[in-house]
Amino acid sequence: MICGYCGREIPDRTPEPENRCGACPGGCRKVHCPHCGYANPALPGFLQKLVRSKTDRDKE
Amino acid sequence: METPSPSPTTPRIILVGNPNVGKSVVFNALTGAYTTVSNYPGTSVEVSRGHCDIEGTRYEVLDTPGMYALMPITEEERVAREILLVETPHVVVHVIDARNLERMLPMTLQLVEARLPVLLVVNILDEAERIGMQIDIGLLQEKLGIPVIGAAMARKRGLKEIRAAIAGFDGRRHATFAYASDLERDILKIAATLHGEYALDRRAVVLLLMQKDEELLALVKRTEGDGFATVEAAVKEVAFERRVDLHLRISLERKRVCKGILEGVISQHAGARTPFSERLSGWTMNPWSGFPLLLLVLYLGIYQFVGHFGAGTLVDLLEGHLFEGRLNPWAISLSEHFIPWYWLRELITGEYGVFTLGVRYAVAIILPIVGTFFLAFSVIEDTGYFPRLAMLVDRIFKQIGLNGRAVIPIVLGFGCDTMATMVTRTLETVRERLIATVLLALAIPCSAQLGVILALLSGVPGALLVWSLCVAAIFLVIGFLAAKVTPGELPMFYMEIPPLRLPQPRNVLVKTLTRMQWYFMEIFPLFIFASVLLWAGKLSGVLNTLIALLRPAMLALGLPPDTAAVFVLGFFRRDFGAAGLYDMQANGILSPEQLTVAAVTLTLFVPCIAQFLMMKKERGWPVSLAIFAFVTALAFGSGWLLNQVLLFSGVLS
Repeated sequence: MICGYCGREIPDRTPEPENRCGACPGGCRKVHCPHCGYANPALPGFLQKLVRSKTDRDKE
Repeated sequence: METPSPSPTTPRIILVGNPNVGKSVVFNALTGAYTTVSNYPGTSVEVSRGHCDIEGTRYEVLDTPGMYALMPITEEERVAREILLVETPHVVVHVIDARNLERMLPMTLQLVEARLPVLLVVNILDEAERIGMQIDIGLLQEKLGIPVIGAAMARKRGLKEIRAAIAGFDGRRHATFAYASDLERDILKIAATLHGEYALDRRAVVLLLMQKDEELLALVKRTEGDGFATVEAAVKEVAFERRVDLHLRISLERKRVCKGILEGVISQHAGARTPFSERLSGWTMNPWSGFPLLLLVLYLGIYQFVGHFGAGTLVDLLEGHLFEGRLNPWAISLSEHFIPWYWLRELITGEYGVFTLGVRYAVAIILPIVGTFFLAFSVIEDTGYFPRLAMLVDRIFKQIGLNGRAVIPIVLGFGCDTMATMVTRTLETVRERLIATVLLALAIPCSAQLGVILALLSGVPGALLVWSLCVAAIFLVIGFLAAKVTPGELPMFYMEIPPLRLPQPRNVLVKTLTRMQWYFMEIFPLFIFASVLLWAGKLSGVLNTLIALLRPAMLALGLPPDTAAVFVLGFFRRDFGAAGLYDMQANGILSPEQLTVAAVTLTLFVPCIAQFLMMKKERGWPVSLAIFAFVTALAFGSGWLLNQVLLFSGVLS
């Protein structure tokens, strides 16, 4: 995943419990960039498939 | 077919570099088809290994995860550094993007400083040449003191040269890059306290210690044993003497050295024009052109698209035609026919009914507004405009005790203030965090509130201008005063600017849908819950009592007493309050002056409950309660003053 602010690649993982703000009912929905701190939206399940298939095609 | 396992003496080639610079293409070109991918021991990070034969010697080749610097931040970078330190490389092939030499060269410097055997591959040279860049590879090699190969690995250009350079690699040559004299003195001072053996050169160890690399600190502690206290004292002494962020200082020094190295190395073809994206990038950061461009972005993206299209056309369609015209009358008539109990009819289709209020607010008012806002936000975000905005407003932000770094929480605040309040922790000093928290609680409306307010005011000539001027003036004045009364130093701001790019429709769509889905999932149950609360308040009489309590404040603001309900709801959720205001305006209850006063007061009014709890978490009870009291008083004070000014001047009459 590319950070929408600094443009660096970040691991597509939701943050550790200590770094979650706890504001979202039903769990964390943000991926905070470790380089700049920007909160990127964490992809919901139904979109992950779509994004992964594109990434896989790019890699090939 | 299995890859033969290497003998202990098999020399290793380790590929390193930023993500997306073509490392894997170099890896595949060197190793061919037979490679293995496995998790690096003890981690979930994948590392590719393969083999290649060059001039009769067999090498093991490792493709490391992308890294931006020798000092790791992510797990991927940690693994990449571990590989460099543990796997004793014969050659470290650093792959960089020719189009972004200046951004990527500081890592080359770090690798050379660490005394690693570096071979630099300047990849994607064909693309750089296409945009008119000329890179003098020979001169770069001479200045860096390491072998440098120009390549376009997607076309196999440079592969032969890379193989030849690996075969003839002489790791004994090392250049040293001199930093400013005071920094060099500090390095020597700390280096003199180190006595252990390290995989990295001592100079590199000192630089990482000065940059507060925690893993390295632990390594030095283990290696130095009793002598660690002396090392730690020396580092602390330097940090105290310099009173600057040493990490930033070293990064800036490296930038300066790289700039010197690149002098004469990069040139533009005669007649080749600087690409439009680069010129546009420059314009967005220049104050003379940057602010008009910012206004244009706000006008087209927010005012026209969100305010007119989202909050006007779409809300009219959904709220006016669908809900008010068809669904609500149908639901009310059904409930009147089939539900004999008044309380239940009220709960479902009454004034504050779950369907007639909760569902209508969430689906017909808020969703189209936040949907268009998120779409505009994702387009702007995907172009890479936000870091440029940070550079543009850095000077203004310094006047209010912040710097360009605070653009991240402020921009995020326009999405959700609660999450933005948490992000203030990325700011460097306590003073900055406090000022940013106050400003977020006071003058930054969240996406839904902003959208509804834009929709409310865009129909009243002059009201939007008055609202914008009031909120902007309060943001700047309070920021300026906060900076004056809170002591502390102003840290420097430095950031690498990523390339400006055309927004990718796919990225924009995915981000918008993601944000909308999460947002809707979050607000829908809350809106239902809020309408139940209001229903209970109405039936029990509590709501009327609250409205009666707030009546004097509403009258002082020149507002109808019923507006009190909007403020009560605004504390529950900011967007719910704004939606209530929208409803009152649609029913013709508010005059233009009242509408403007209510919109300004509601924007400045106390943060919603979630933001308040986040403030408490980040800043503690005393500070949060003080901010709460200050913001409430200022909101009503400003509303009262604005009402007097509008009545006296007759501006919006």
